[in-house]
Amino acid sequence: MPVSVFHRLILTAGFFSLFHAAYSAAQHRSYLRLNELEFTSLPIDILIQGVASLFVIMYGVLYIAGDFKEIKASAELENKTWETYKNIPSFYTFNHRGKAFSPQYIQPTSKLHIEEIE
Amino acid sequence: MNYLNQLSWSDARDLLRTWRDNNDRKSEEVLHLWKSVLEYNLNKLGGEKFSVLEQVCLAALDCYHIPTVDYCIKLLSNEFPSSLRVKKFYAMRLEAQECYDDALKVLDALIKKDETNNAPRKRKIAILKAQGRSVEAIKELVDYLKIFMADTEGWQELSDLYIAEQDFNKAAFCIEELILHNPHNHLLHQRYADIRYTQGGYDNLELARAYYCQALKLNPNNLRALYGVYLTSSNIASSPKCTANKKKESLKLTEWALSEIKNKYSTVKDKYTDSNLEDRLSITKFFI
Repeated sequence: MPVSVFHRLILTAGFFSLFHAAYSAAQHRSYLRLNELEFTSLPIDILIQGVASLFVIMYGVLYIAGDFKEIKASAELENKTWETYKNIPSFYTFNHRGKAFSPQYIQPTSKLHIEEIE
Repeated sequence: MNYLNQLSWSDARDLLRTWRDNNDRKSEEVLHLWKSVLEYNLNKLGGEKFSVLEQVCLAALDCYHIPTVDYCIKLLSNEFPSSLRVKKFYAMRLEAQECYDDALKVLDALIKKDETNNAPRKRKIAILKAQGRSVEAIKELVDYLKIFMADTEGWQELSDLYIAEQDFNKAAFCIEELILHNPHNHLLHQRYADIRYTQGGYDNLELARAYYCQALKLNPNNLRALYGVYLTSSNIASSPKCTANKKKESLKLTEWALSEIKNKYSTVKDKYTDSNLEDRLSITKFFI
C-alpha cells in the first residue's frame, strides 16, 4: 500500500486530538484541585475523545507502517526453489569452466606439455 | 541478456538487491549490469553502495574479470582500510588466479588476527574443494562445524560434499541438522526426502514419502515434492515387503498425487498455451 498524504494527515490529526484530550484531562484535574473537589472520573467527552483518537491513530498507522507479512512461517519461502537456496556465496569456488570465456584468462600451458611429450 | 540494457539505475539496484537476498548466482548478469549502468551511478546508491560493490566483486571473480575485481577491492579498501572482510577479497582474487598457496597464507593471517571470524575459514574449505580434495575439505569442514555449530551454511555445504562422496547417511544427518534450525522450510524437507529416496530400500522410501508429504504440507505448490510423493508411493506399492493394507493406501496416494500434478499442469497450460508444442509432441509419437 502506498503511503498517501491523506493517511499522514489522519495520523497527525489523531495525535493532535490525543494530546488535546490529555491536556484537557490535566486541565480538569487542576480545576478540581483549585475547587477542592474529590476526583471521581474524567468527564465523558474527554474519555470519548481519547478513545476515538486512539482508533484514528491506529487506522493511520496501519496504512503508514507498510505491508503486512504473511502469518504463516513458510510464506516467504513459498516461491523459492532449491536451486537458489543451495547457493552459498561464502563457499563459491572459482575454478570452473566459465573462466575460459573471460578475455583475461590465459590457458595454462599444461596441455602444451602433454602435446610435447607425445 | 538484452533486457538488462534498458534498465534504469534504480531498477538495476532493485534487481541486484533481490538477487543478493535470494543468493542467485547470476554472475554474468551482475557484471553486465555493473558495466552498463551501475559503474557510472555508484554514488547514487547511498548506503547500499558497498553491498553492491561486494556483490559485483564476487561476480567478477566468478567470471574471472580481474580488472573489475581490482577496481572493487580498491574502492572498498579505500573506505574500510583495516577491514578483514575486504582483505578476504584479496585472498579470493588469488584463489581465482589459482595461486592457492598464497591465498592460504593470506587466509591464515586473517584467522590469526581474528579467531572468531568464520569467513576466512570457509574460504579455506572452498580452496580445498576447488582443488578437488573433497575428503580433506570434509575433514576441515567437520572441524569447522565443531567450532561454529550453528552455521547453517556450513551444514548445507557439508551435506553437498557428502553427497559428492556418496555418503548419503551422513548427508541426510546434515540436512536433519538444518531442519532443526529451520523446521518451516519446505526445501529442506524436500532435500531430505530426495536423499532418502536416492538411498532406496523400503524403510528409506517410507521415510522419504513422509518428508515429501511434510514439504507439500508446508508449501502446496512444491511440484517436486508432489512428484516425489507419486514416485515413492508407487515404489512402495510395488515393493514385496508391503502389506495389502498399506498397498491400498499407497495406491490411493499415488492416484491423488497424479491427479494433483495433472491439475497443476492444466492451470499452467491455460496461462502459457503453446499450440506448436502439441504439434511437435505429436510428431515424436511416430518415432516411438
